[in-house]
Order: sequence, then C-alpha cells, then structure tokens
Amino acid sequence: MIPAKKLLNTITEHWGVLALLFKRFKMADFSLKDVQNAIKQKQPTWSNERIYKETNRLLNQDILIPLAKSSQLEINRAIADFATFLLQEEHLGLAQEISVLVDDLARLGNRLDNAGEIEDFDDLRRYSRIMDDRVRKIMKLYTHNENAILNIVEQAKSNNAVQSLQKRYKAVIEAFDEYIEPMLEMVDIRGEFHACFTLIEEQISKQILHIERSGKAYNDKRMLEQLRTRILEMHLVGRESLRKSADMLMPLREELRRNNLITRQAAKVLGLVRKNGVDNMLSAVQPNFVSDAQRYSLGQQRHIVAYMASLVEFEHEEYQLPDQQDVPAFVTPNIPDYNDVKTSFAKRFNKKRKKPQPLLQFLDESYPNLDADEMLFLYQKLVSDSDIKIIQSNEKARVKIAGQHFSLYPFNSEPQPDLKAGK
Amino acid sequence: MTHINLDELTHLQAINKKLVAGYHICEQDNVMWQELDQHIDEYTALFTALGHDLKHDSRGFYYFGSDESTPNMGKISRAIALTIYILIEHYANTGKDPMRALFDDVSDLELMQTLVQINKNLFDQLEIFSGSDLRKDVYLRMVRLGLAREVEGGFMLQAPIHRYIDALMEVNEETYLTEDEE
Repeated sequence: MIPAKKLLNTITEHWGVLALLFKRFKMADFSLKDVQNAIKQKQPTWSNERIYKETNRLLNQDILIPLAKSSQLEINRAIADFATFLLQEEHLGLAQEISVLVDDLARLGNRLDNAGEIEDFDDLRRYSRIMDDRVRKIMKLYTHNENAILNIVEQAKSNNAVQSLQKRYKAVIEAFDEYIEPMLEMVDIRGEFHACFTLIEEQISKQILHIERSGKAYNDKRMLEQLRTRILEMHLVGRESLRKSADMLMPLREELRRNNLITRQAAKVLGLVRKNGVDNMLSAVQPNFVSDAQRYSLGQQRHIVAYMASLVEFEHEEYQLPDQQDVPAFVTPNIPDYNDVKTSFAKRFNKKRKKPQPLLQFLDESYPNLDADEMLFLYQKLVSDSDIKIIQSNEKARVKIAGQHFSLYPFNSEPQPDLKAGK
Repeated sequence: MTHINLDELTHLQAINKKLVAGYHICEQDNVMWQELDQHIDEYTALFTALGHDLKHDSRGFYYFGSDESTPNMGKISRAIALTIYILIEHYANTGKDPMRALFDDVSDLELMQTLVQINKNLFDQLEIFSGSDLRKDVYLRMVRLGLAREVEGGFMLQAPIHRYIDALMEVNEETYLTEDEE
C-alpha cells in the first residue's frame, strides 16, 4: 500500500508530464521511451539518470502501470479519471448510462417501499443510502456530459481550417443523436423518466408519512427527506443541463444543416447552369443593383461592338407600292381646246383694230372661269403660236387675272390691217 | 412625419454617391455605416422621398433595392453569382466549410486561376478566360459594389454576398422547369 500523501506528492511533482501524456495519448497506451521524452520535454535541464529515476518512481507508485503481457504502459485508470475531472477533458457519455442508473433507482425505490412496509429500518436505511449514491452519480454524469458537450462545441467552433467539414461536425451530430435527443425524450414531461421520479417521490413521501405517524425510526426521516429533495433537484438539474447543452449544440447543427443545404444547392444550380447556359439560368434570380451612373454612360467596347453587329442586320422598312384605290382619280383640266381659243382669237382680232389689244385681257374676258395657271398656259401657247401676230410691249405692266396679280412685259395683239397698210 | 435635420446627416453626400452607384454599405465602411445606423429613420425617409428604396439587411448592410438592372449590370451580377456559386462548390470539394471559407478565406490570383481552369466552359460564356480576367471583371467590380474588399494578396468577401446566397436558395424546381420549357 502506497501512502496517499506520497502518491499525491509525486502526482503534483509530475503533473505536467501526466497531463501531457494524458492529452497526447488519450487513454491509449505508450512506451517507456514516450514517458522519458515527456519528462525531458518538461524538465530539459535534468540529466538522463534523473529522468530514469523519476520514470521508475512513477512506475513503482503505480501511477503508470504496464499493460498485461506487453512492454507498453498506461496511466492508472483511477488517476486517469481524476485527471479527466481536473482537465475537464471529458468524453461524452451515452444516454443509456443515465437511463440504466434511473432504472436502478426505480428498482431501489421499490425495495425501499417494501422495506418500509415490513418496517425493516436497517434495509430502509441501506436502500436509501444506495439511492442517494445513484442520484449523485446521475448528477455527476450530467455535469460531465455538459462539459463534454462544451468541449465538442469549442472544438467545432475553433477555426481549424485543416479539419474538414465532416470531421468538424461529426462530433456535433453524434452528440445530438447519441445523447441530447434520447435524453430530451427521457426528460420529457410525459416520458418514462418523469413517471419514474413521480413514483419514487410518492414512495418516499409515503415512508416519511409512515414514520411520522408511527414515530418509529425518527432519525431516518431526515435522511429520506434529503433523498427526496435530492431526487427532485436532480430532475431539475438534469433538465437545466440538457437545455444548456442543446442550446450550445443547436446553432452548430443548424449551421451544418444550412451549410449542407447551400453546398447541395450550389452543386444543383451549377449543374443546371452547365446544362442550360449561364444567362438562361441565372437571369431570373440574380440580385439587381441600382446603377444610375451606368444608365448614362456609353458602355464598354464590347457593347459598342455588339451594337455595331446589330447594325449589320439593319433593314429599311420595305417600300410599299400604293394600291389602286389610293391613287386620286384623274381630273381633266378645265382648259378649253386650244384650237377653239385660236379660232375665237383670230375671229376677234381679224377685225380691224387700231390699237393693240392685250392678250391677257382677251383671255380673261373670254374664259372667266379659268384658273390663273390654266390661263397662263393658254397665254403661253398663243404667244408661241407662229400663226398669230403679236408683239411684246416694252413697258412692264401689272395685270390681274383670275384673282392673281402678275407683273410682266405683256404680249399684245398686233393691230391688223391699218398698221399693215402703214408699213 | 420625420423631421430631418440635414446638418446632422454629415455624410449624406458620400452615402448617396455610393448607394446610387449600387454600392452596399456594410460594417467595414465604418463611418458611413455608423452614420446610417444612427440616423436610419431620417435616411430612409429622405431616400424614399427621392424615389429610392433604402434597404437594411439584418446581416449587416444597407443598399438601394431595385427591381431590374441595366443589361450591363445584369451581366455583371450574373458573373458575380456564378463566381460565388463556383467558390462554394470549390470550397466544399476541397473539404472546407464553404460558408466559413467564403467569408474568411482570401481569394488570391492562384485561386482565381484554378476556378477559371476548372469551370472553363462556364466562364467562357461570360468572356472570362483567365484568372486575371476574373479578377478584373468580377472581383474588382465586387469591390466597387461593396461586396468584397481588397486585402493584402487578394480579396475578402463581405456580408452583402448573402444576397447571392439567398438568390441561390431561391432557385428551385419551378424556376428550373420554366427555364427548361423556354
């Protein structure tokens, strides 16, 4: 038997080494050389002899123990548990551990009830003590698991880019599936857990009442009351701890779920884009931006190129020939036949006239219905007709025909026989 | 009726200039962000009266909402969307947490070259043929829109990228069907 104090001293002295071994090998085995290296690392000034001596000390005090039929070593399980507690390097237990303890508690509750019935107070005390022990164990597991979950969360959150997504979240998912969810089911107000505790509480209350009434074993009453309080407290603590753990894990699980969703969606959309083309696929959903500046700018070179490319295909609107109906009907001009005009002119001026007669005045008088342009047309025809003798006046005159004013050097009819004779 | 004291809105000019150009003001734009955050009611009223739609996203950015883009902006937006989706896929393929890497990792030229090489036929459609094209046509534009910031050795994406992730989640079977029918 090694004195506890001596053991504790050694542990204190070599705590650094033990913590290192514990962290590095995580319950796995290691060699003597590893231990010596660890000591060397913690105490670089020590000589080899000293290291050898200290290693032996750890071995002799059963802090490190050799594995059966092997030269490998492991940390004494009791000390490892102690270290787990101190370092809070806890690993998540299973929901079953707790549920087994609770089942045990229910069984003990029944025993306690029986012992109370037959007034076997020794048994009553014994079962009460065992139940108390179970309750403490369950409470310990709660805190243990809560710490473990905290570790998992911290690890998942720590920015370790090397760790892959799957690895990082595996622990989270496991914690959820293995612990939180079954536990939540158990702790549920309609779950077996709750029913079990109600039953135990009833049983204990009954015993307390019994003791109060009979007055026997009055000392045990206090113990039972304490047990009852402890069980109620355990239930509360359990719920609290689970809620806290779930709160810590939930965001991570959500994040993971969302990440998976986004990754899947991205892969899906890219698949569609590959099939249907970028513009077809993304135009409908892309976010839009305000761009006042862009609205007035000329655009980049490639926009101008695109614009010019579209110019090549430019086509005038095709020329439409008018339809038959669209052409206005031909209206014959109002002009009298030239020959008639000529005869009437000749008739009028063949008679002896002393003075030259203005041509236009004749036309105006003879055809008062004609328009100015039609009148001028006849005038021009008469002027250029070689059969008719006319002379042009040397003075510019202003005449009015058919409501229009003209200023011209008018042609007049030649005075016929007299002048002719005079010549 | 909100009373707007223009003297209090000391950065109005800068904020307006940025926002009308499609810029997203996010927490990294310290001064403008704080100003907007403190006087959000005034700014909202003012911009609404001017016919803009100032939007605040709880993930930490302000921008002007718009129902449609000019064709040029639309094209830029598509290029950004494609780049981000490809980035997500790339990070997931390399075993990283895509959402974390998207915002925490620096996109350097090497990454851009890799992306363009792997997704050549997609980027070809957007006339992006190399890593430096991607830098010029997408990342620098993202900086101009406030979606990314330039850091040493590359670019870091910023919160407004969430608009694209929202858009990504919007693509569902229906959009896909209608697009198929067309």
